[in-house]
Amino acid sequence: MQFLTCATYLIFYVNSVLTYNSDTFTEELLIKPLYSEQIYAHFQFTTKWDVDPNTETFNHSRIFPRALGEIVKRYNVQELHVSLTGGLWRYDSWGYPVTDAAPGAEVWAWFKTDTKDVNKNWKLLANSLSGLLCASLNFVDTSNSVSPEFSFKPTGVTDSPNVNSSYLSSGVSGLASLLNSGYIHNTRYHSVALHLRPVCRDETCQSLSLELQQSVSLVYDYLILGTKNWSLRKLFGQGVTRNCILASRSEIYVDTTTSSTHSFELSPPPDDVVTSIRGGHVSTFGKYNVPNYFLHISAKYEESQKLAVVSPPSLYASQYLTGYGQERGGIVTKLYNNHWDNLNVVVLQNIPWYVPIYLHTLKVTTDGVNNEPITLRYIPGIQRERPYYLEILLKLPPKSATAVSIDFDYVFLKWQEYPPDANHGFYIGSAIISSHLTLARNYTGLPQDGSTITDSFNASRSGYLVQVRTENMVITLPTPDFSMPYNVICLACTVVALAFGPLHNITTRRLVLKPKNNEKLLFRLKRKLTEFLKK
Amino acid sequence: MGLLTDPGAGQGKFIKALLQYYSKICIILYFSGIIWFCALAYPPMNASTYFSENALLPGLVKSQFHEDKLASSFHNELLDEMKKYDNSIPYPWLLAKFKQIGLDTYTHNFTLYSPLNKKEKYSGKNVYGILRAARASSTEALVLSVPYRPPVSVHPTTAPSIAIMLAFAKYANKEKYWAKDIIFLITEHEQLGIQAWLEAYHGVTCGNENTLDHGDLKGRAGAIQAAINLELHSARIGQMDIKIEGLNGQLPNLDLFNLASKMCAKEGLYHTFKNKGQEYHRDPVKEWKYYFKNLIAMVATQATGIPNGNHGLFHRFGIQALTLEGFEQSKARGSSKVGFVSIGRIIEGTFRSLNNLLERFHQSFFFLFTPLFRQIHLHCISSFCVMLCRLYMPAVCLIAGALFIKSCAKWFKFEGSTNEEKRENTHEQQEITELKVDKIIFIFLLTHFCGVLIMNLPQYITLICDQYNYNASTCIFYTLSAISAVFLLLPYLVPFRTCERSMNMLNILCMLELGTVLICLAMNNFSLGIFCAAVSVPVALLVNPTSCRYYSVLQRILWLLTHPLVVLTTVVLVNTYLMFPDVKQKEIISRGLDATQQAIVYSIVDSMIYGNWMFSVVTSIFIPNWLCFWCIAFSDIKKPKNLLTEAKKTN
Repeated sequence: MQFLTCATYLIFYVNSVLTYNSDTFTEELLIKPLYSEQIYAHFQFTTKWDVDPNTETFNHSRIFPRALGEIVKRYNVQELHVSLTGGLWRYDSWGYPVTDAAPGAEVWAWFKTDTKDVNKNWKLLANSLSGLLCASLNFVDTSNSVSPEFSFKPTGVTDSPNVNSSYLSSGVSGLASLLNSGYIHNTRYHSVALHLRPVCRDETCQSLSLELQQSVSLVYDYLILGTKNWSLRKLFGQGVTRNCILASRSEIYVDTTTSSTHSFELSPPPDDVVTSIRGGHVSTFGKYNVPNYFLHISAKYEESQKLAVVSPPSLYASQYLTGYGQERGGIVTKLYNNHWDNLNVVVLQNIPWYVPIYLHTLKVTTDGVNNEPITLRYIPGIQRERPYYLEILLKLPPKSATAVSIDFDYVFLKWQEYPPDANHGFYIGSAIISSHLTLARNYTGLPQDGSTITDSFNASRSGYLVQVRTENMVITLPTPDFSMPYNVICLACTVVALAFGPLHNITTRRLVLKPKNNEKLLFRLKRKLTEFLKK
Repeated sequence: MGLLTDPGAGQGKFIKALLQYYSKICIILYFSGIIWFCALAYPPMNASTYFSENALLPGLVKSQFHEDKLASSFHNELLDEMKKYDNSIPYPWLLAKFKQIGLDTYTHNFTLYSPLNKKEKYSGKNVYGILRAARASSTEALVLSVPYRPPVSVHPTTAPSIAIMLAFAKYANKEKYWAKDIIFLITEHEQLGIQAWLEAYHGVTCGNENTLDHGDLKGRAGAIQAAINLELHSARIGQMDIKIEGLNGQLPNLDLFNLASKMCAKEGLYHTFKNKGQEYHRDPVKEWKYYFKNLIAMVATQATGIPNGNHGLFHRFGIQALTLEGFEQSKARGSSKVGFVSIGRIIEGTFRSLNNLLERFHQSFFFLFTPLFRQIHLHCISSFCVMLCRLYMPAVCLIAGALFIKSCAKWFKFEGSTNEEKRENTHEQQEITELKVDKIIFIFLLTHFCGVLIMNLPQYITLICDQYNYNASTCIFYTLSAISAVFLLLPYLVPFRTCERSMNMLNILCMLELGTVLICLAMNNFSLGIFCAAVSVPVALLVNPTSCRYYSVLQRILWLLTHPLVVLTTVVLVNTYLMFPDVKQKEIISRGLDATQQAIVYSIVDSMIYGNWMFSVVTSIFIPNWLCFWCIAFSDIKKPKNLLTEAKKTN
């Protein structure tokens, strides 16, 4: 598979093929027709480098991108997760993605224990990433970042480091150019992500390796494509010309589980059929090994028009604003538990400082009945310094809808803090709802200990971590009339002029007694005329 | 004029002039206000309109909508389906269609507990589908709404608009350029359905608690930026009327209005405002007359504070909205009718322009006022002449200014010269002329308390009516009339009716209150403000504490005519006469009285369900103010001047 990544890796290859050969690179593409009218394509590029991340200097690398290595080394980063997303993953109709990502940008990182000033490093890291990824991550700093207690656990091997996370809503660019950009924007959802973490080198876990996952997730809509019969050319503009010579594995998996309801035929037929049983859920995949010549895959559906009833997954959520006007408002996060059993979830909310929330207004109701949170963590925000951090541990009863609501005030900002026209308003990031599901229905995520899509086959575990991201919201803060300073200046000047005029008049004029002239006007004129004529 | 100088120096002249000429100044101010208002209808007095929001780029995209066949097949199917549902919404069919199109489909249930009779319960159901935009993450949305009308409805059908909405949804869902979700909303029970949906969407209750149970929504799509309400009465449209007046006299942003009219013009559809298209007159007087009629029509609708379409309920939530009502018959001679293709393209053009918006509608004309309709056929651009806030506010300010001038003059007349008087007056006279501030304030507060009492009365009346099984609406009307009649006796409670100074003080207070209220009202609802000002100010200027008996009787009769109930009855009677000019006078009066009764009950019900503030404003501000003036009209002053002269003579 000739991905553009190959080109960048080649440069490093020439440089360091002799000194470093302990890293492996795999590339995978998962194509999954969803039960709704969409098709999901997920690219997973995984680099595993057998070095100890604690001692590695990142001066020499082969496949691992050195630019990233330098940043990681410099800011003492243990784990790094970045995602840039356009659109919103619709959990209720699409199920779960391989990697969850919030709309906009999301960065979270763990720093090593010996880091002196985490806040400073965090800001510098964000600035470096914004240069590396061409995204406006430089706005990430401590005033919009929180350190969650429950929601983000290190996914790799670690001893207790510090975590910081932040979500920003901004445009996406940079890594997306890996794929044909014209076709990426035909999608309903596109997300690029980068996950760096230390992992065990082998099962004994005596030594560490560094693992980098780079992924691109795309969701195409049959309506936008114009047909249900998809092919690689329709989705990406071209087929696969050949495999990447640097990759130890180049594979394409097509999820054929939905074929039982909407049967389709793949051409050419897959090299292999993989059946995966995971958490009581059976799925089948058609596997293609990318050859070193041109490969084009297409699917043809049977004619029959069927409308499937899509049942939503076990846990999904949405978030919205309540109230109107520019005085008071509320944020409501709705959590839906479709599972037949209780679910323990953690709701994390990072609310910007310009949306001051009131903890006493926090209400958690399940189908109208009060639901007491198991644990609650709250750190109030400080204007311009710290966002409001709220983390709630909840037990959701089976088959229920729970609403978490909290009220806030609209505030005025300083005049320079308003964004220039034209702006949509101020964004409030999405809430993150984390839970361990017991069933893996509609679940495609990678296991904690796995790094490739292959690892997720037959990977039954005791629980399946989902981190549902809700939609973000936009609010209009009360904006003063910016012509007001001008009006104030005008008014103030007028008042000063009115006060100054008489004062100046009184203080500078010399008062002279003038004899009153009782002469009538006519006489005066006559006198002046005669005086004039005499001259 | 200078600050920091002795205010008394050289200003005696102004006061003298004011005292001498204030009655003339008042008359001039009043009439100049009225003339200003009338002159607003003359085009050269108006600013011409333009698009202030550049991002809209109206009509720049090539229209591609061509699903007219689909629309007509939807229309036929819907007509068949409607036959099965006499009195409710055919929601299974609508849901199925939305789902087939590929929208996220939801239903919304709401219940109304009748505010007049708690036992009565009405329930309704709205259906909506959300087109999820490919380019965004559901942060912003646009709404296309249609009120569903069953075959038994008294209003003309809207089935064609549902058909075109579905066809447009099908077309739009294929496109990848949407950056805002589009909500396709079909509501039941006219304004009730849309109010319930909006309340549920924003999680608030606007009227009284326990009246409208707005239920809950399963699906949302972020902040709503704009809404178009579509009411097409026929598959072929000859005339499109654009309606804008909303609840409490709120109006949408002018850009949206311009956008809609431009789209209609682009498709060559005859579009009107207040059912009047463009007319050309060479004679400026005729031109003015034509525009003035439009102006009065708009003032009449806006002053009632009742929305003239489903769009009117969006405005409260900061959502710009208007109604496009399509009629088959056209008033214009020789205009052609358009079919589903053109209507679809009007909707497409409008929504693609709204999709371009990079920010909320905010610029330009929030206090817009568009009485005039002018179409420039060159380049098919239509433009409406607008009156901006700065143009129309002076009219009310001039009229209210008369009140301020008079109160100012009175103050100088009675308070400015107190010192001199005190010296002259004897001890007895001082007692008569002494200012009773505490009693004045007591009377002032008492009247306002009466107003608040009337405002809250309907709720308790309904409770009592419930127990004795009376008809609540007639009960409310008769109780209100009776109480108003009782309050007419209030002046006999005033202890200082003989004290001229105190009565004048009360008069000054009332005039200041009325003037302020009128200006505030005009800022919120200009039409209501100018109407109240034009009616009440001249009579309020005439009311004076007087010792002349004939003048006193005259001002009582005149002031009685401006009682809100009397004004309402008069307006309704005139309206009835205009609507049914052929009916006999007796019939008109009985019909008019019935209509008045209903108008009062509806305004109470509206304030309970929709949060319409008309009833509250009238009862809590206008009636108390009216009562204060009424007290002044009943002043019983013994001619103090004669006393003085007599005293001088004896001296």
